[in-house]
Amino acid sequence: MAEPLIQELRRALTGWFYPVHYNLERWAYALQRITGIAVTAYFLAHIVETGNVVGGMSVWFVPPTGQAADVWTATFHFLENPFFDLGLVVIGFMLSYHTINGIRLTLTEFGLLQGKPERPDFPYKAKSFSIAQRALFWLSVLFAVVTAVYALNVLFGV
Amino acid sequence: MLLHYITGLGIVIAGGVHLFTVFLTGSYAQNLAFSGGPFSVISIYKNAIFALTLELLLIFVDYHALNGIRVILIEFHQGTTWERGVSWVLAVAGILLLVYGTRTILIANALA
Repeated sequence: MAEPLIQELRRALTGWFYPVHYNLERWAYALQRITGIAVTAYFLAHIVETGNVVGGMSVWFVPPTGQAADVWTATFHFLENPFFDLGLVVIGFMLSYHTINGIRLTLTEFGLLQGKPERPDFPYKAKSFSIAQRALFWLSVLFAVVTAVYALNVLFGV
Repeated sequence: MLLHYITGLGIVIAGGVHLFTVFLTGSYAQNLAFSGGPFSVISIYKNAIFALTLELLLIFVDYHALNGIRVILIEFHQGTTWERGVSWVLAVAGILLLVYGTRTILIANALA
């Protein structure tokens, strides 16, 4: 039977985003979902932001170049502050994680890097989450950290 | 869902080119300036190959991002009406985003 919406929402949110006490694969899943939603939000903002390269939302024909240049320069200066720069660092981290972990998921989708089925024995490690996949997961975390450090260096000159 | 994986791999390539031109071809400040450098904003848009790459990236990300949201929403709640509604709303949103982004690329490419 249909459950109340608020209860359904709570179950979904804890199921997706609260992987505490679950295995690493569940953490990878939660992170993939969180980073996906965040990068989608960034994508929407980025389309609006880059729309200002030609002068903003009301421009539907080729404007004078000077007008477009003024709008873009103003936009860039508005966005050039520690708050948005820090946001870019976080987006860089998330994008890198999502990319490498996404490659892992693509490989598993086509049946690669899957563990062989075995008799379940204590401590019941998920056989589907093979050593190669674990390596790719940690590589995605490493790549994300490297990207964040790189972005900090570019944007804050650390 | 095959398209989700194909567009994902497309983003790795087209997005790689996009990030390369912004971060690895000169100073960040110059590459995000309106004009003045070989990889400044308008120089990229006016180069046919880079503009085409941006358009492809737009198409790939548009599909991949909105389909990802669709997957999450369909997993959240099951039902034919819900699934159809979510799919339609996101399809329309995706087309609007695609039109707006393509407008930016076409007009920026045609700027004097």
